[in-house]
Amino acid sequence: MSDIDHVAVLGLGPVGVEFVEAATRAGRTVTVVETDGEQLRRGLEALADSMAAAVSAGALTEQARSEALDRVVSSTEPSELGKATLVLEAVAAGGDAKRAALREAAAVVGADVAIITVTSGQSVTELAAAVPDPARVVGLHVPSTGSSSRIVEVVRGLASGDAVVGAAADFVGSVEREPVVVDDRPGFLVDSMLLPYLNDVVQAYDDELASAEDIDVAIRLGLGHPVGPLEMLDRIGLDTHRDTTALVHEATGDARFAPPPLVNRMVAAGRLGDKNGRGFRSTEETA
Amino acid sequence: MNTTSHTVAVLGAGTMGSGIACVMARAGHRTLLFDVDETNLGRGLDTVRGFFDNGVRKGKIDAAQADSAVANLSGTTDLGDLAPADVVVEAIFEDLDLKKETFGRLDGIVSERTLFHTNTSTLSVTGIASGSRLPGRVVGTHYCNPAPLMKLVEVADGRHTEGWAHDATLEFLDTLGKTSVVTKDRPGFIVNRFLIPWENSCIDALESGVGTKESIDAAVRGALGHPMGPFRLLDIVGMDIHKQVAMRLYEQLREPRFFPPPMVERMVAAGDLGRKTGRGFYEYDDNRLFGS
Repeated sequence: MSDIDHVAVLGLGPVGVEFVEAATRAGRTVTVVETDGEQLRRGLEALADSMAAAVSAGALTEQARSEALDRVVSSTEPSELGKATLVLEAVAAGGDAKRAALREAAAVVGADVAIITVTSGQSVTELAAAVPDPARVVGLHVPSTGSSSRIVEVVRGLASGDAVVGAAADFVGSVEREPVVVDDRPGFLVDSMLLPYLNDVVQAYDDELASAEDIDVAIRLGLGHPVGPLEMLDRIGLDTHRDTTALVHEATGDARFAPPPLVNRMVAAGRLGDKNGRGFRSTEETA
Repeated sequence: MNTTSHTVAVLGAGTMGSGIACVMARAGHRTLLFDVDETNLGRGLDTVRGFFDNGVRKGKIDAAQADSAVANLSGTTDLGDLAPADVVVEAIFEDLDLKKETFGRLDGIVSERTLFHTNTSTLSVTGIASGSRLPGRVVGTHYCNPAPLMKLVEVADGRHTEGWAHDATLEFLDTLGKTSVVTKDRPGFIVNRFLIPWENSCIDALESGVGTKESIDAAVRGALGHPMGPFRLLDIVGMDIHKQVAMRLYEQLREPRFFPPPMVERMVAAGDLGRKTGRGFYEYDDNRLFGS
């Protein structure tokens, strides 16, 4: 499974776009399958925009950009996955849609092709159970921190074979990210530590420990973190954070993961953070 | 507090006290470093002078600036010598009774308008202030280690701190080039309040096999951009210190997140305190330690 020259990416939401770009810029041929024609159009547009931005920023030559885009073939038909030597399932919807996509992929690609599922928190073991041979399935999780993360977690499901774990780690390394292999536990590695910390900060802020700005300044200057916790939550999005932490809370029953009441109130009030300019720190001027 | 140059008494010539004395002398304040012990005082004064010598050698400050900073500094073991102080910064042992008693004795020595600052990290500002007949003048000012390099000071009023003292404290910290954040008189203020549970949860993750010390350190640096992973940081802080601060917070807050995980106790028992003993989570061969 070391030959990963031809990658198929299923689903062209924001996460799919990110992996398509990374794979083609690393010289891979990429087949994109997105069954929703409108989503496919928007995803390809986002891909072109992102690569144009890389050229403007001097990170990519014009020739490299055009060659990379030529390596991307897109389709709305899952049967197009057939020739892939590695499948990356990045369907952005809930567990049912992901399981259906995994089943479809398993049916059309060769029996020895590794299938990687990009999880936003769902258990990889549960997702893998949708295919006849779960040993070929492994997970990837990009920790949501509000800024680009060098780290990508390679999530080993209970049934994942060593070969697919190795193939996924190689793939992550080949697209210039740092793989960290972790077991399939709620929150994986980074979130299992980060979410209780963020929830604790929100509760202390709600308990009037200090202003949002002073909490962030104290953490940045006192601990050297590049962003304070409340700025980070604004970037992640309060709704996204609530969903992520609620999922881990549901899976563990551990109260440290329960969404703090203030997060629920802010989401109810439509204060989602940077995405709509209203959060702990962001105001409409800075959005 | 009308002029920009003040007379500042720093109590305690240990790491924090001598670091704070550097900050005061560098800012142009007449600085009186006090310690009950002659040897400690001598070592503290040497630390301050060494800091400025180093600064000159590394080209961070010029010789004239260093000379004038050192000229601002003097030391004493006699509390009575602190009479001219406009500001007293207490950085003695984390012992409530000792801190209270010291502020009580200073009441009879300095002016009634002298500010009393306490650099406590885990004790209650209100508790320490109760040692003074004038608790309205007492403000918590928590510096970070190393004080000359870290810009942050956490400011916390006690229950009886008066508005003039709070305002004068913020103005004074401005003269030091520090960035102040205002918080409440609660255990751990902001930084330790969040750092201790964070480090504890990283230790829990290690002990429960979520990752190795290397993978957790790498993930935290790569995903969150922290300057150091949690285990490298704990090795520098020292497991004994981590345990002590965590226990003080736990004793006051009674929340399990502050309680040091069992691995901390085992490492302390084994003498694996971190860099200072040559072994903590990692091993350090640049340290004098037999057999490791």
